[in-house]
Amino acid sequence: MSKVTGVDNNSKLQFKFCWVIALRAEAAPLIDAFNMKIVENKSLFPIYANEETGHALVISGMGSIKSAAAATFLKNHLKINDYSAWINLGIAGFFKDPIGDMYQANKVVSKESGTAFFPGLRLSKLVPAAILFTVSKPENGYKENALYDMEAAGFCEMAPSFSCNELTYVFKIVSDTPNSSSSLITKHLVRELIEKQLSKISDILSEIEILVEEEKKRLSIPNEVLEFEKRFKFTETNKYKFREIYRKWRVTFPSRNLDLAEFLNSKPKEIILKLEKEILANAKNWNAL
Amino acid sequence: MIETIFFEQQIAEHPTTQRIRSALPRASWVPIDRYQELFNKRHQNFKLQKKNPALILAKKHDNFVLPVPSGFGMDSHKSFYFSHMYNCLYDCKYCFLQGMYSSANFVLFVNYEDFFTSISEKIDKYNGKTLTFFSGYDCDSLAFDKLSGFADEALNFFSDFPNTELELRTKSIAIGSLLQRRALSNCIVAFSLSPAEIAKSLDSKAPSISRRISAIKQLAGAGWKIGLRFDPLIYTSDWQKLYSSLFSEIMEGLDPSMVHSISYGPLRFPKKMYKKAANLYPDHKLFAFPMEEANGVISYGTTIETQMHDFLKSELNNYTSENKIFQCIT
Repeated sequence: MSKVTGVDNNSKLQFKFCWVIALRAEAAPLIDAFNMKIVENKSLFPIYANEETGHALVISGMGSIKSAAAATFLKNHLKINDYSAWINLGIAGFFKDPIGDMYQANKVVSKESGTAFFPGLRLSKLVPAAILFTVSKPENGYKENALYDMEAAGFCEMAPSFSCNELTYVFKIVSDTPNSSSSLITKHLVRELIEKQLSKISDILSEIEILVEEEKKRLSIPNEVLEFEKRFKFTETNKYKFREIYRKWRVTFPSRNLDLAEFLNSKPKEIILKLEKEILANAKNWNAL
Repeated sequence: MIETIFFEQQIAEHPTTQRIRSALPRASWVPIDRYQELFNKRHQNFKLQKKNPALILAKKHDNFVLPVPSGFGMDSHKSFYFSHMYNCLYDCKYCFLQGMYSSANFVLFVNYEDFFTSISEKIDKYNGKTLTFFSGYDCDSLAFDKLSGFADEALNFFSDFPNTELELRTKSIAIGSLLQRRALSNCIVAFSLSPAEIAKSLDSKAPSISRRISAIKQLAGAGWKIGLRFDPLIYTSDWQKLYSSLFSEIMEGLDPSMVHSISYGPLRFPKKMYKKAANLYPDHKLFAFPMEEANGVISYGTTIETQMHDFLKSELNNYTSENKIFQCIT
């Protein structure tokens, strides 16, 4: 296994977008576009990544269970943060022409279990929406006004638990319709269909990135807190209390720094108490605005 | 603008669904079995969902009308509330709704007729007693009215029960459906208000205070009874000055006889809801104040609450009689 360039593999990497892709032909245009390199090639699920562009990608193979398993593997292998977006993109059958159009799945139904999922926020200015059925065998009947794939339901079962449902997205590009049989699909065609949508995919990623950044800001633990937690031995309860009181202290005194030197001889409880006292002293002149 | 509407297939042909379908022909209409399939599920992110909420049209099956929590409403009346909708167009940082559900999507129960049947049953059961029914507990009564058409149907229903009160609680200025009809003597249009500076900081997406006050005066001018709701009271360094000038701005040019009641209530959160809301908005000053906790409730504490209560009571007495003023503590 090779390492991601310039990064300590034990640390949490800063991936904003995690792709779960069924076929190598579907993955190749994304790997090229975001300059990803192989980082795991000995397991069932090859992983590609580039921390600089913020992309990580796992190739799952076909099927719902594999999609769920590959997503989990990627999450654990690269220790993906809980503010990253998870995207399943691939080809799908559709009840109408033309092939090549891209859709966001706003409802994903497992044909096998009947379970429905509703991934993501709607990005209607960029991409139309459609219902997607995940089937266990290739669908050639196109009986309903919907998309058909073989992975999304498994992906949707797992991915929201890694970040949240609003950072979980399913996009499908039409590869076959009643007038264009799935038997005509080749690796070359798949690659071409995805490549033609790269510009739109890039626009979509810009929108999703705004959400990722917002969640990153909300969930990230400030360096000041990490330094204190490294220097002092907080119990789990005190660690929770310290983080909570620090949050309030930071909002109350936005221009001040928490100086480690001031607390060198303090116990964790004394640090918490001091911050509490400072906030309380400020409460009389509280400006809620 | 609502882009996606999930609708329960069982109410696809309901007149309210049909009316909304004609009003929003360009939205994506997605059939579902039950609203619980997507509402308030695990791993949903309220804050992100609030950026682009979907509308869910559903049928309510039970618990149409419930007794109000103690401390809500006037003690002299038997009071109930009903929620034809879950969630609100607005995004007020102190609102319990953001700690209540993990979803920000709007759920609209289109079977208004079943709410009215249930209300009729309560009226029959408490025959002769003055009852008050509160709308706008889990939503804003009017904010969605252009689409839901609920107020009009509710007013038609309550016009047959002149001894039963309906309170529409709102921050909305969507008062068109009220102004188009004769004022109903048993309906109170109750506006939630805070000093403009505070509302600007906390009442995201809601109409400004000056527009709310203008709506109040239009409604009062048209004969509608007005409720003034200062709940929750927000503590800030010059709160007395801010609340005092708010009262004066509201009452200037408002016929005091049109004021049905004035209520105020302290800022309080159940501990669990406070944690959820603070987690959603960790950088907001509302959640940085050194609040106190007692019996699982987070509040400013009795000292500040008493100061605010005493000031409000005395200040409001300048504008209306004491029997119209009451404190809500839920």
